[in-house]
Amino acid sequence: MKISLREQYWNLSILGLVIILTVWRSNQLPVFGSYEIKTIILGIIPIALLAMGQSLIIIGGGINLAIGAEAILINCITAKYSEGSDFALSLRWALIGIVISVIVGAITGWIISQSGIADIVVTLATSFVLIGFALFIQPGPGGGVNLDFAKYFMGGEDSYIAPLLVLFLPILLIWLPLQRSRLGISFYAIGSSKDAAFLSGVNVARTRVSLYAVGGLFAGLCGVSLTAITQAASPFAVISNTATLNSVAAAVLGGVALAGGVGDLFGPALASLVLYYIPTIMLGYGIDPAYSQIIQGALTILVVLVGGLLRARGKR
Amino acid sequence: MGNLLEIRAVAKNYGPVVALRNANFTVAPGEIHALMGANGAGKSTLVKILTGVISGDAGTVKLNGEEIHFTSPDNARKNGVAPVFQDPALIPDLSLRRNLRLTNTNITKFEEQIAYLGLKINLEELVSRIKLPILRMIDLARALAHDPKLLILDEITAALPANLTEVVIRVMNEEKARGNSVVFISHRLSEIGEICDRVTVLRDGIDVDSFNTSEGDEDRIVSAMLGSKITSDESKNRSVSTGKEPLLAVRGIKDGDKLVDIDFEIYPGEILGVVALEGQGQDSLFDILAGEVSAKAGEIHFSNKKVEFSHPADAIKLGISYVPGDRKTALLPQRSIRENLALTKFRELRSWNWIHQKNEDSLVDKAVSNLEIDTRASSQVKRLSGGNQQKVTIGRWITTGFDLLLCFDPTRGIDVGTKNQIYKLLSGLSAEGKSVLLFTSELREVQLICDRAIVLYNGKVQGVFNAAKADEELLLNAAYGRN
Repeated sequence: MKISLREQYWNLSILGLVIILTVWRSNQLPVFGSYEIKTIILGIIPIALLAMGQSLIIIGGGINLAIGAEAILINCITAKYSEGSDFALSLRWALIGIVISVIVGAITGWIISQSGIADIVVTLATSFVLIGFALFIQPGPGGGVNLDFAKYFMGGEDSYIAPLLVLFLPILLIWLPLQRSRLGISFYAIGSSKDAAFLSGVNVARTRVSLYAVGGLFAGLCGVSLTAITQAASPFAVISNTATLNSVAAAVLGGVALAGGVGDLFGPALASLVLYYIPTIMLGYGIDPAYSQIIQGALTILVVLVGGLLRARGKR
Repeated sequence: MGNLLEIRAVAKNYGPVVALRNANFTVAPGEIHALMGANGAGKSTLVKILTGVISGDAGTVKLNGEEIHFTSPDNARKNGVAPVFQDPALIPDLSLRRNLRLTNTNITKFEEQIAYLGLKINLEELVSRIKLPILRMIDLARALAHDPKLLILDEITAALPANLTEVVIRVMNEEKARGNSVVFISHRLSEIGEICDRVTVLRDGIDVDSFNTSEGDEDRIVSAMLGSKITSDESKNRSVSTGKEPLLAVRGIKDGDKLVDIDFEIYPGEILGVVALEGQGQDSLFDILAGEVSAKAGEIHFSNKKVEFSHPADAIKLGISYVPGDRKTALLPQRSIRENLALTKFRELRSWNWIHQKNEDSLVDKAVSNLEIDTRASSQVKRLSGGNQQKVTIGRWITTGFDLLLCFDPTRGIDVGTKNQIYKLLSGLSAEGKSVLLFTSELREVQLICDRAIVLYNGKVQGVFNAAKADEELLLNAAYGRN
């Protein structure tokens, strides 16, 4: 399978930015060994997984403002029922959580395609509903998880192999096969042109349901990884809202066109690293974290601008 | 021998609009069958029904003698009906290879067809980077790769240069030789007699004539499309004052493939009709004159001065106002009649940026009574009927004042009473010395309200006619490129 040149340009420049920021960050730290690398990877796993789910949905011509809430709901469910459990039960609840997230995503997609209401409105509404459910299940911070189970996410003392796998296995096992399948191509198709997709024989409504379901799969993975990494649940709307907005920012930075049909999941995964570095590096200098918000926002606008200009030139 | 395709008494309504009333259509095996009809006769609706894009409200479709109901284009393809639609049905952001994957097209067969059509293409190319004529050919190759029993070509030759048109004709004849059938839709009358075995003509959603091309000629097609001639005694005969200086003169305007070379002029107080079949460059011409896009070449002279527009505001400032075909793009649908009428006037109504409510009121009230706008639903323009919306779009320019009004099909989908009011309005404007450039898809409007008419064909002016002599037959023949 070949990826178009422009998409590669984009991913390569994001990769370049990531390398620069990594060197910068490593110079801030007295030691930069496997423990530090592990910390960084653990820091980006939830946002990267969420960004991948969001990017997929945006590629398919939608947007999910409830994706953060989906993740928080799964975080609450798994943390509540895995507290003090053995490995098998924690694993079972992780799988149940992911299945619930897929179902929630599918229902969201079904509502959108059946009602004809804009994605942004439906998902804004479902975000409130899901956070409500999360608070219902886990009214405050708490919960836990089996530590042996958490180790599969956290890795050993100084080993970053496990977190790295958690980050890359979804790409390798979900995205790569999906991208080659007819379903994956249909995602691009409905995001690019619904009419042409219909004429090509794509069932647009059903594809939209699958799109949100796969987005839900990533949100569920994000929720489970949150439980494993933090070993607790945090049912706060602020967290889910920030996570949702970050997922959109990472998608845009990662070269996904908000109009749909263009992009992949590698760029957004890398972009979430950029979003992680900006506040961390600035905090390393002792700069007020508020500034990092400003810079992150400015960077997003800049990227959208540059992307728009590139696209306009490409059309000519 | 039985028919390959048999369509009986098919009807389709879109809300109150009847697209197909009672259409019958049969295609024999090994036949090239032309489907003809003027704009809005129901051709595209019929094609959509027999390719599974939409389903009809009534009637039956039989394929090989068995009643069938296509649920989707994919379903139709699997049953041996492969369409090439007017708009290419390829996903712009995907490579060709992935597009073919989407339609489950056999790549080897597709490549064979591409070679057979004499094309060279790169399967990894993004569709958005491929030129339109080549896309049509790719669409054709894809349809052929599915080994269709019935190939449907909707206006495929419209976007093609001569050499590719020949290739398409060759393909159609080969399909026929193989015992397959082709449904061919084209605006080019000259192609029909040459290529096709049979013709079916639709008018107002009914099949009005169907005959072997050996039994009738192009005139029979034209008269079937027109139906009973409407003799109009309402036609006005104002003398055209072409002796004066023209208000607007268009010299050699070009816009890619859409406009090849356009020359014409409008005189003060004249209503100049523009007649064209779909896609002959009229949209592009109006966009250029309204300042929305710039011409690739040529000059526009207005009041004897050469002018250039970089923005619609430039055209408006000079006194050229545009009433677009799609009323929704012209109006602020959620706002009131009042605001919509005064919108183009705000600059003059304000002082220190405050709008003078009194001035606005008097201005708007005058316009409303002049235009006889039904104000019962005045709070939101979107709740007005189509005809009243159209009056508001024209009315706002009347409140502003202009010298030249560009009207794109202002009476489409409007009831007869409102139509007459709009005719009256336009005639009144011309009596005041204003000029109107009026694109119309209703040929009789030329004799009803225009002084002269130009006919566009393939991006060129095919003919200029005095309205008094321009009956529908003459105009339609010219619109089909026949003199």
